[in-house]
Amino acid sequence: MLFIDGFLLLILAIAMGLPVAVDMTCQEGEWPAFFFSMAFTAFVGMALIFGNQLDGWPVLRTRQAFLLTATSWLLVALFAALPLHYCSLRLSVTDGVFESVSGITTTGATVLRGLDHTSRAILIWRAMLQWLGGAGIIVTALTLLPVLRIGGMQLFRLENSDKLDSGQPRVSYLAWKLLTIYALLTTILAVTLTLAGMTPLEALCHAMSSLSTGGFSTSDQSLGHFGEAARWICVLGMVLGSLTFSRYVQPWRRDGWALFEDSQLRWFLICAAVFSLLITFWNWAVGDMGVYEAFSHSAFNVVSILSTTGFHSIDYDAWGGFAQITFFVLAFIGGCTGSAAGGIKIFRYEVLFAMTAVHIRRLIHPHGVFPIDFNRIQVSEPVLRSVLGFVMLYFICLATLGSLLTLCGLDAISGLSGAASALGNVGPGLGRLIGPSGSYHEISDPAKWLFAGGMLLGRLELAPLLILSSRLFWRG
Amino acid sequence: MFDLRPVLFCVGWLVSVLAAAMCLPAVVDAAHGDADWLVFAGSASVTLFIGQTLAAANRLGRPLALSVRQIFMLAAGGWLAVSAAAALPFAFSAQHLSATDAFFEAVAGVTATGASVLRGLDHAPPGLLLWRALLQWLGGMGGLVMGFLVLPTLNIGGMQIFRLETAQFVDRVMPRLAKVMGSILALYLAMTVLLTLLLWAAGMSRFPALLHAMTTISCGGFSTSDGSIGHWRSPAVDWVILLGMVLGGAPFILYLQLAQRRWRAALRNTQLRWYVVTMLVSAVLIGFWLYAEKDVKPLPALRHGLFTAVSVMTGTGFATLDWGGWTGFPMAVLLFLSFIGGCAGSTSGGVKLFRLQILYATAQAQMVRLLMPNAVLLPQYERRPIPEAVAESVLGFLFVYSLSFAMLAMALGMVGLDFVSAISAAAGALANLGPGFGPAVGPLSGFGGLPDGAKWLLAAGMLLGRLEIFVVLALFYRGFWRP
Repeated sequence: MLFIDGFLLLILAIAMGLPVAVDMTCQEGEWPAFFFSMAFTAFVGMALIFGNQLDGWPVLRTRQAFLLTATSWLLVALFAALPLHYCSLRLSVTDGVFESVSGITTTGATVLRGLDHTSRAILIWRAMLQWLGGAGIIVTALTLLPVLRIGGMQLFRLENSDKLDSGQPRVSYLAWKLLTIYALLTTILAVTLTLAGMTPLEALCHAMSSLSTGGFSTSDQSLGHFGEAARWICVLGMVLGSLTFSRYVQPWRRDGWALFEDSQLRWFLICAAVFSLLITFWNWAVGDMGVYEAFSHSAFNVVSILSTTGFHSIDYDAWGGFAQITFFVLAFIGGCTGSAAGGIKIFRYEVLFAMTAVHIRRLIHPHGVFPIDFNRIQVSEPVLRSVLGFVMLYFICLATLGSLLTLCGLDAISGLSGAASALGNVGPGLGRLIGPSGSYHEISDPAKWLFAGGMLLGRLELAPLLILSSRLFWRG
Repeated sequence: MFDLRPVLFCVGWLVSVLAAAMCLPAVVDAAHGDADWLVFAGSASVTLFIGQTLAAANRLGRPLALSVRQIFMLAAGGWLAVSAAAALPFAFSAQHLSATDAFFEAVAGVTATGASVLRGLDHAPPGLLLWRALLQWLGGMGGLVMGFLVLPTLNIGGMQIFRLETAQFVDRVMPRLAKVMGSILALYLAMTVLLTLLLWAAGMSRFPALLHAMTTISCGGFSTSDGSIGHWRSPAVDWVILLGMVLGGAPFILYLQLAQRRWRAALRNTQLRWYVVTMLVSAVLIGFWLYAEKDVKPLPALRHGLFTAVSVMTGTGFATLDWGGWTGFPMAVLLFLSFIGGCAGSTSGGVKLFRLQILYATAQAQMVRLLMPNAVLLPQYERRPIPEAVAESVLGFLFVYSLSFAMLAMALGMVGLDFVSAISAAAGALANLGPGFGPAVGPLSGFGGLPDGAKWLLAAGMLLGRLEIFVVLALFYRGFWRP
């Protein structure tokens, strides 16, 4: 387990090489911070690897897998905060950790202001973190979460296992394939964004943070700073980032597009379309916008929140009551399972709706048997139970986090929407303070720690962190 | 399609009972010399006529026995018909409410919600005030019948677990069940009388004391003053009302057990324990906030904290302070309390504590199962294992509850409410609480300023909440209408 942690730190250290290189070329004087952080991270990583060498393929028991999921994200987040703490911004420990957790969990809540004048090394490091975080969660969702049977994810173990004959090595093969596709999509997005008028660095940053559904931008106005074309490309990137990645491996089969057979994908697109149209209608009817302008802004911001990215093209918080409530609700939906997006996720809603329908039928026909299908696979009883358990746990965490945040002095809107946004890895909340036009800069330090905790909790699908606090976990 | 006649027959009788109730305000107004007595007498005769026509036209030649589908229809149709009939006096009284306002007020009364469009209550005619209180009192009774007979029979939201509980009193099901129901309603009446006396002793005059007793024990929340309970400025009144709300939100089966001197069974009631603990914890939190932020002295702060927490949790909606204007921490706490609600088998609304207990037990079992995949675990409720079907209906209920909340809030936003008002009013309507936060829907401000669309939506939300959602959803299932 520590071996794998070390390995991940090593990857992080290599990633720090990029900002060093960027800074070397544009001479903004940030490279020492990144270089020394890189050296230190690499050293710790190496130490962990060599101190815990294993023979052969590491085999994890359930407890170890839980511990690994939790510790790896925590460690990476802490080490990723090093350069932010020591760079020219001199972020405090709290701010540094907040920013790096927000990056690595692909949340996109930022404490930085004046991004337009921030040095490029830091911008690229933030985008890099989100990109790595996106890759990390895709791999975690593929390998660890199904094994841990968290929130109904065991269903996807079955789904993958018909492609894997011999267990672990095939999983790693699939993981490599996914990462290649991920990198490929990023490149394509970056190139098209450059063509749409961004500078190469901006294009790369936005490609990284939109595909990973992160939401760090290079401007304080987020995508409002850029043109129409760039916005639509980002919409594409966000949608791609929130679909099930394993579907990209074989999008085409003999009998048609396997990609579009996925019911999650259909529901995600339907959700995005319906909510965009609702908000378009609202903006057109109430907000004095032209139809196209309303649609363009609504679609962008709806997709941004639904995919839990957190870009914004305009201060949508000022759109009025209906828009605020809708954006609040959207933060709970999220993308598809096995994607970089957060939230409760479409798959669980499908199961919940199916269960409710069955429940209603059973009220009338008490002895009827009604199986529940997901993508034509029957959903078993334990999966149903864990989906329900997950959703309820999610709301309990939300309520707890929300109350704690208001206890730290936030107003109720900021507290509630902020808690929803942190758990869903969205980024912006509602209200003047942490809404799209605000920043997390002004909130108090304890609140920042709570937010960071919420982000990690949400990213790891609650259970891995919560279970560490149970006595049973540490007993024999 | 199934036979609707027995349903219409029962609805006819329910409406007739309401007509009989309308005679009371008519008598009071006549004695007081208020011209409104004509309105009540007129509405009573119209309602009685409709009710008796329905009952007579659908008379059955055999003893009444309802199928599951018919009970669903009766539950939904009964509440709707009674609300519509109860709106008549409001529409034609001297207050000249529009159809929307009258229906809203009637629904808020019958569902014991306590959101009112009326202002200037301090000078309103006594008949009208009595009618509002009477509606809530009858509504509270209706809530008890739902909680003890209807919902457990229909397996709604895990309520079937209480079928077992009532069954302990039962040898031959129906007659004994009716007896249990009868004793519970008798207790309800007794507690109303007790509260009236206590309120009178605490310094209220007789008439408001009676009305407040009625709206307190039913967790309703209509007051006779625009200032709600704060109008009396009397700690003694606060404490009595507080006691009434706590009694109204506790499981009524408990009183039956106490009356039968089954102390052990009463003490074992874990739902009650959760109820008291949640109440006290939030009261202390809110009291502390009042003390620290609003400079209220410790003891009054605790009293106001307790009062507000209990009022919101039981879905009553009384206020001693204008809690609708609070922001930040207490607002978050009260918002969550309004979701939690009181106990099952009480007059309160919301998700109810037993569902949270089942949720907690299931979640705990789940966590253990993550670590020990093959362990055999039986999550328990009241020391009995929770049947799989119950756990599922509880979780299903929580899901549709949150879904209805989200959709109601969005719809309220669509008709023009701001974020805080929409969210808190939606939560308040579904939980049969009533008031929310902000100037438009606060506990002391009344709902009169809302757009008509919002009033219809909220009225629908209240009915949905009282019918525990699934009763309504089932009617939309195609199979419901097929033989």
